[in-house]
Amino acid sequence: MIDSMTVSSSTHNVWRARLPLVFAILALLVFIALPAFGVSGFTYRTLTAMFLLIVTAQGWNLIGGYTGYAAFGNVAFFGLGAYTTSILMFRFDLPFLVTLPLGGLIAALYAVLIGLPVLRLRGHYFAIATLGVAEATREVVAWWTPVTEGATGISLPFLKPIDFAQNFFYYLTLALVVLGLIMTWYLSRRKIGYSWAAIRADEDGAKMLGVNTTASKVIAFALAAMLTGLAGSVYAYYNSFIAPEEVFKIDRTLQAILATVLGGAGTLAGPIVGAMIFQLVNTFLIFGKPFGIDLGQFHVTILGLFIVLVIVFTPRGLIDLVLRSAREAQQRIAGSGGNFGQRVWAFIAGGARATRTILTQNVRQFRI
Amino acid sequence: MVTNEIVLTTQKASKSFGGLAAVEDVDLTLRRGDIIGLIGPNGAGKTTFVNIVTGLLPISRGRVTFKGRDITGWAAYRIARLGIARTFQVVKPFRNMTVRENVAVGAMYGAGGSRRTTAEALRKADEVLEFIGLGNQHDREADQLPLAGLKRLELAKALAMDPEVLFLDEVMAGLNTKEIEAAMDLVREVNQRGVTLLIIEHVMKAIVGVCRHVVVLHYGEKLAEGAPAEVLQNPKVIEAYLGQKYAQQLEARHAKN
Repeated sequence: MIDSMTVSSSTHNVWRARLPLVFAILALLVFIALPAFGVSGFTYRTLTAMFLLIVTAQGWNLIGGYTGYAAFGNVAFFGLGAYTTSILMFRFDLPFLVTLPLGGLIAALYAVLIGLPVLRLRGHYFAIATLGVAEATREVVAWWTPVTEGATGISLPFLKPIDFAQNFFYYLTLALVVLGLIMTWYLSRRKIGYSWAAIRADEDGAKMLGVNTTASKVIAFALAAMLTGLAGSVYAYYNSFIAPEEVFKIDRTLQAILATVLGGAGTLAGPIVGAMIFQLVNTFLIFGKPFGIDLGQFHVTILGLFIVLVIVFTPRGLIDLVLRSAREAQQRIAGSGGNFGQRVWAFIAGGARATRTILTQNVRQFRI
Repeated sequence: MVTNEIVLTTQKASKSFGGLAAVEDVDLTLRRGDIIGLIGPNGAGKTTFVNIVTGLLPISRGRVTFKGRDITGWAAYRIARLGIARTFQVVKPFRNMTVRENVAVGAMYGAGGSRRTTAEALRKADEVLEFIGLGNQHDREADQLPLAGLKRLELAKALAMDPEVLFLDEVMAGLNTKEIEAAMDLVREVNQRGVTLLIIEHVMKAIVGVCRHVVVLHYGEKLAEGAPAEVLQNPKVIEAYLGQKYAQQLEARHAKN
């Protein structure tokens, strides 16, 4: 009796461990196959924008999630990637695919350069310093007219024909998401991943165990910048026009943070799930015109409100909330007998109750 | 156990915060295999001393050597990788990790870390946890351990680094009598494995029971040193701990006897 129980529970565990992988592969297959079913230009644009957001969120997740350093200037890397591609294509006629890795590389080098001084700061100081660096970078780009064309911006040739372009950018950004996912997955289980988690929990403690915290943090920052720079690089060609005000807009940083925190910072799936939900809500607010109101103008306000709500109600993210609720609900049906319908009901009721408990606990932490 | 080989020395080690001298001119010699106690009233500078030796705080003046090598001013992580480990007075587990993963970080980055793969470090963590008596707890979230468990976890993280010298900063504070007995046995066992120890402790029973030699700090300076029983009888030490008045009373009583 006992033997059969342990066996079944261990096979169950193996399955449960593989479930995320199965899910990820299924989702990937759906996204790969989707264009074959004929989707509209609007869907292409929405999904491509979503993939780009996922990549910037995956970038932020490395430094802000795994390492615990709340970077507020990641848009600088997006802008640098975009400008690297634009300048190289515009002035030197380099092919886009040559400029793409350079966009990521330049952003990463920049992160090393600013990371060495800025990563000595902790908490709010680090957040404000990165914010300042991003603003300063935009100013430099806006004023360095001989190279960047200044505030006028740079126009790039369209990729033609349009059908090809749609598929090209769709699959390229999807590939970047996969790159971000595999990179994060791989690194999070290597020594470097452990050092990030240790730094996030207790930086002095990590130092005393022999972790070169400066090196670990700079690597996290540089890899975050690389992903963000690659996204910026693709964006430049995809949009075929860039200007400082647009590619260095702080909204991009905020959206990446929000998407990551919404899904779950410091988790593999967090930025992906968060960015998907965010993009859905965002598209609905802008194009759906709920109750006939055009919410476009309140866009940033709603974004800010959203950040506050997420941090108050689910600081560990929606995935964590759902998984914990499901786990408690499962324990509840284990105790309840009855037929299938009763068990399903017990699961739903138990899950809802568990969710409410977790949310209440989270909110209570904010009472002073 | 104690040999003649000198592992670690400090010469006139000093640390001041602005005008306040927290540690002043402390000379200390650790021989391989030794167990030295570092005691003194609260605020005497014991933890600050460990902080400047291990590089967590920059040293203001003085010299630190490890196996004949001058390591003054080295970054904390480099000192740690040489084989000098420490525990923290206030236990700080990595909250987002399991007990095993906590210890594995020490095995990955400590003295033997560069030789180990991630998987080997995790195996090493299991070995250390077995030794330390947390063998059945390795999959628990670190912050779910009770205090005695957290203290053991601190020790396990340090031991996973394969240290030659280990500073134990009040590992017994907050433990009950039975737990202290167990901790003392553990400390002796660690020493028997060849680790040189410097122990900061307020639990005098542990100091007397475990240490060969005791150094007393008071207002950042070395007040006395010697065999534990002897040092604890020293009127200057009693005065430092309990105040002048009580020390005089005690002396008068001794004189009468």
